[in-house]
Amino acid sequence: MKTEENPYIPKSATVVAVKNESLETKTLRLRLYNWRAQFQPGQFVQLLLPGVGEAPFCIASSPSDQKHMDLTIIRRGLVTIASHYMRPGDVVGIRGPFGRPFPISRMVGKDLLIVGTGIGIAALRSLILFVAEHREEFGEVDLLYGARFPEDLVYRDEMKPWAEKMNVKVTLSKASPEWGGLRGRVTDHLGGVVRGGEQVAVLCGSPMVMHSISAELLKRGLKADQVFVSLERHMKCGIGKCARCLIPGGWHVCRDGPVFSLDEISLEAIGE
Amino acid sequence: MIRVKLGEFLRLPSILAGMGYSVVVPTEGNGVTKFEGYSPDSAIDLDYVRAINAPRDFLLPDGERLYRYRSTATVTSYGLKIRFPTVEGPCPVTINAEYTAPGGRLAFFAIHPCHANSIRYLDRVMLSDPADPYYKARREGMLTVVLECEEGDDYCFCVPAGSWRAEEGYCDILVRRSGEWFLVQPISEAGREAASKLNAQEEDAGSLEGKPPKMKSSFSILASEGEIDRAPAEGLDSCTLCAACTVTCPTCYCSDIEDRFNLVDPSNVERVRRRMSCQRKCYSMIAGGTIFLKTKEERYRWRLKHKFPFSEKAFGMSGCVGCGNCIAFCPAGIDMRKTVGRDQG
Repeated sequence: MKTEENPYIPKSATVVAVKNESLETKTLRLRLYNWRAQFQPGQFVQLLLPGVGEAPFCIASSPSDQKHMDLTIIRRGLVTIASHYMRPGDVVGIRGPFGRPFPISRMVGKDLLIVGTGIGIAALRSLILFVAEHREEFGEVDLLYGARFPEDLVYRDEMKPWAEKMNVKVTLSKASPEWGGLRGRVTDHLGGVVRGGEQVAVLCGSPMVMHSISAELLKRGLKADQVFVSLERHMKCGIGKCARCLIPGGWHVCRDGPVFSLDEISLEAIGE
Repeated sequence: MIRVKLGEFLRLPSILAGMGYSVVVPTEGNGVTKFEGYSPDSAIDLDYVRAINAPRDFLLPDGERLYRYRSTATVTSYGLKIRFPTVEGPCPVTINAEYTAPGGRLAFFAIHPCHANSIRYLDRVMLSDPADPYYKARREGMLTVVLECEEGDDYCFCVPAGSWRAEEGYCDILVRRSGEWFLVQPISEAGREAASKLNAQEEDAGSLEGKPPKMKSSFSILASEGEIDRAPAEGLDSCTLCAACTVTCPTCYCSDIEDRFNLVDPSNVERVRRRMSCQRKCYSMIAGGTIFLKTKEERYRWRLKHKFPFSEKAFGMSGCVGCGNCIAFCPAGIDMRKTVGRDQG
């Protein structure tokens, strides 16, 4: 048995840049060592920090650059906290890419609504960059990004270039008095971005928020097969062998997801 | 088909060991039957109905090492210090994972048809694309000697679960007890080779067909996702979340992969696959502490859903083989037949 055939063996990558996004969030830019990742928007990788452990992260960079990979990581657990101590030059292990990507073919030629809350925007950045690069292939594109505090906002310097390509709306639910943008939850601002027709909506965020946004979108007339969610589970293997990412309906998030349309899964599968 | 007496039949493990197999036999000790590696002084128990472990523990061993690699962790006077390997430093530029594929061929002696079906289920899970390389290497060249059950105990329900017959490919030698005789029917080529080394005291022209064991209870299993959600779940107050149901289940395969090292040489890291149970809190926890399965009842129903509707959907086969271990070994006496079983008629 060769190492290449063993899906449990990580490949090496080097951290080339670390960017502070917010107080709790950093983006690691990885250069893949001697290999290329043929990934598509929405897929995830397993990041191994030597001596610490492994955790799954959605790829947050454009699929047009297969030599590099961005991972936006918020401090939450063992691996994510350790990843904040990484410096340029450090070596990490990468397994993947795994999972079913966003259905680009379903979106081409149609209006697109991208809704991200909190760190969920990291899983959507790959799609946002892809759409920005192929802007003429899509109809109206709306990006609705919600966070709690102004300090939580990530990709601040990228919002302006994105706004030239698509309609960007940022809303804060616990904004400071100086905040000049939208206030309130993401669900309060869906009225201005749901265009109906054949619009395709893509969501990522915390389980509770995604649940309420999905219910709101369905209430506003989008059909279940027009809404796509990117789910989060703590996958251990990435290939459907550890059963840690089973969701109601019998899907494996790592193999059948992480992107599901709402006609495949019930709202309970997202969370509550 | 050949007929042998008990003493001759018990020579079969040593014959298999002589053929190069690592043989697993049911042994008796401390009042329970347990599958263990064969040694000439093993107390082989052929009268067992229920074993506390299953072939799963040999095909997917708990604590299996997936690979090892060198990290740059060192122990300092103030504790463990992990420094990440940098390209500039003396550390390796790549993570060199060293691993060895498990070798050797396994032979299971005197397993029951439900165990043979549990291997069939694990095959569906582990060999579906992409195949698990460790399981695949263990599975290759495996031989099973299936001993038919005559009668189930209070907890058995392999007939309602539809797994009383060892399917083709999962039974190399089929054995039935008939009085003081053992009827031995080799099925595969490897099985014929092993059986030919037995001194058959009597040849028989007939061939052995599978026979369902006598069951103490008869019911039908209705287990769609909605039915499991609605069905009564009794006695869960006394559940202690000990996870005995998933530890003794022959088809539970959920696992966790973790880094392990000792403090003498912390730079020598092993990635180890350990068994995980859906009854535990950390099973469904994601970053930030969200838990999807919060209550005992949710976890109990989750186990049943994974066994029945989820397995049917993902692997085309029920994950419950009706061995009844989860009922027999439950210290709280929780009976899943009351949730998924419906009286016939």
